Amino acid sequence: MKKVLFAIAFAFFALTGYQAFAQEPELSPERKQAIDSLALEKVRDLSKYVKLIGSKNTPWSEANRVIDRAEELFAPDAEIGVSSLAKTKIEYYKVRQYLERLMRLNYDRVEIDWYKIQYVSDLQRQPDGTYVGVITIFQTFKGYDAEGRLIYQDTTKKDITVYVKRKETQIGGRLIGFWDVLLGDMRVKETTKK
Amino acid sequence: MVPVLMLALCFKVDAQVLNDLGNVEMDERELYTMTKQMGQFINRFNYEEDQYGKKLNPNDPNFRNPKKRKDVLPLLFDLDNPRTAGALRDFFVEDLIKNNQYMEFLGGNWYSEVSAKFKWKGQMVDISMILVLEKEGLGSKWVLSNVFFSEFQKYFPQGELAEREKHFLHPMSHELDFMNIYKVFNDPETVEYYASTDYMPDYLTLFFYEIKQGNLKFDHVESVKFHIFQIKNWYFEVSWFNRSGYNAGWLISNLIYLKDEEKAALLKLYQPKQ
Amino acid sequence: MLKQLKSIIILAMIALVTLCGATSCNSSKGMSKKEYKAAVKQAEHDLNAILNDETDWTLEEQLDRINELKKIDFSKKNPEIVEMIERAEQKVTNAIAERDRIAEQKRLEEEQRLRELEEQNKPKTALTDYFTMIANAKDVTTANNFIKEALKMFESPDAVVLIRLNNYGDYDRPTTAVNYLNYLKDQKKVNVAVDNVKYNEEHKITELELIKK
Repeated sequence: MKKVLFAIAFAFFALTGYQAFAQEPELSPERKQAIDSLALEKVRDLSKYVKLIGSKNTPWSEANRVIDRAEELFAPDAEIGVSSLAKTKIEYYKVRQYLERLMRLNYDRVEIDWYKIQYVSDLQRQPDGTYVGVITIFQTFKGYDAEGRLIYQDTTKKDITVYVKRKETQIGGRLIGFWDVLLGDMRVKETTKK
Repeated sequence: MVPVLMLALCFKVDAQVLNDLGNVEMDERELYTMTKQMGQFINRFNYEEDQYGKKLNPNDPNFRNPKKRKDVLPLLFDLDNPRTAGALRDFFVEDLIKNNQYMEFLGGNWYSEVSAKFKWKGQMVDISMILVLEKEGLGSKWVLSNVFFSEFQKYFPQGELAEREKHFLHPMSHELDFMNIYKVFNDPETVEYYASTDYMPDYLTLFFYEIKQGNLKFDHVESVKFHIFQIKNWYFEVSWFNRSGYNAGWLISNLIYLKDEEKAALLKLYQPKQ
Repeated sequence: MLKQLKSIIILAMIALVTLCGATSCNSSKGMSKKEYKAAVKQAEHDLNAILNDETDWTLEEQLDRINELKKIDFSKKNPEIVEMIERAEQKVTNAIAERDRIAEQKRLEEEQRLRELEEQNKPKTALTDYFTMIANAKDVTTANNFIKEALKMFESPDAVVLIRLNNYGDYDRPTTAVNYLNYLKDQKKVNVAVDNVKYNEEHKITELELIKK
């Protein structure tokens, strides 16, 4: 009986022990800062891609390549939830669907600009240890017709989920520890026009 | 509106110091003053970030600086609402500063209320879901702690005490093989009066049951707000204000002075099993 | 006693060398019995020392000594000396060959190192020039041409590109040369410096490590 109890206790210890090993020490503010910057850079990269995709000057083949690259920034199951002042109910799009829709917009010319402001949340951990944060940015969109008349414009707040996970890989016999940053769901909400 | 403008100056930003993302050249003060995330609300509430939105290191002299905090706190209220823009607010701010009270993300006792539309037996209904942060594994997650749905509540009215007292099975019923138990089921409206005095209907279970039965179908989220019980002797709500001006974003939309001993009963509504 | 013997041997050797040198003798002929006996003894001593690595002589000195001994005809009375000479000669020539081989290898390695150093300094600037040219290209076609040119510096378009964030061992997700160069084209900015480059034998980049500025 004692032996059985010991075995159970050992198994339990082994299981919880594994958990303890999986736990990383708290990150120093300097490293957190580096991760914040990296996450913000991915959002900046996305904003550039969105501009390229939206621009009518981007050749079709290039736009498609850029869509691929933009899609790679996101986790596979990420969705875009869009609402406007007129339509508060969230419309859901797959990332690719959202970007392709942007490429095919029926304006003669579009202007997509980003406000300088951005807000990076604290990183919180989800149960599996992955860090989750939200980066908020603001965008203005203007659509013009062939005569150069502004026919549509909006300002949107974009809250973008950022997943940050520590991973390791062997490169040339060297173990490289890297931060895998993936964008997750993005909430696009129209704010009051200025 | 003048004091609001002055408050907005607390967040005055020199674009040069920022690592800029975009190129829109305009007064972005409105966007700076906007409390853009609930996390930013907490950071501003505690004064754990500076006016540029940059996180302050705990050993920074400005971290939780009471003077700066006192300047920023009033901006976190809906100034269009007399309830959150008057003397009560000032009293609250004073209390926060004097007693060094702070909000804590994983500190518990704060809830998210998600108001959503569901389809119930073919018609659109409003259901409020209460969520709370729960620690699990290496981190945390939001979990459902309760739901409010008028159709459920309707079945469990508080009832008059006099009426409730009329319904019981006398203590010798067992000797008669509970031949009187049929009375429990005579009137469905009073069936729960035969349960223990401690009995509380579990709306979450009803909710799950209705979903599993296929009677309830989620449609969409209408709005989100937060209920905060973390501050000693205070309760407040934080809601999203989508408007222009220097008083927008996540702001305190309701404030109540509530003794901690009175909170317990209210908390049961948010998290019946705590 | 031992010292005395040593000096006698040395004297005898000098006598032998001068004698042979002067008369250019190439055999034991003309040697007195005594001289021959001393020569055998000396030969045995020296050859053993060479074969057992117990001498301080350089390999060339050893070979000189062997050549000297070869001039004496030991074959009749002392064939074992002849055999020892053969073994010693083999050993010394092998050792010389091995030493020269190592020296040549070292020289080549040094040459390679200097060349790599030179290469490293040369393409490092060229590569960063390409980065800037790609990021600032006036249009997509120009940028694509620069990318094509820059890719020639890499072993393959899929050569690893590492981007280091800080000195705490934090990296971005590893990428490839072609993806990174396209990234520069899309993002139109360069915010990295070249930190380390690894090459293959053809001096093509196999691994590029960048650091965030």
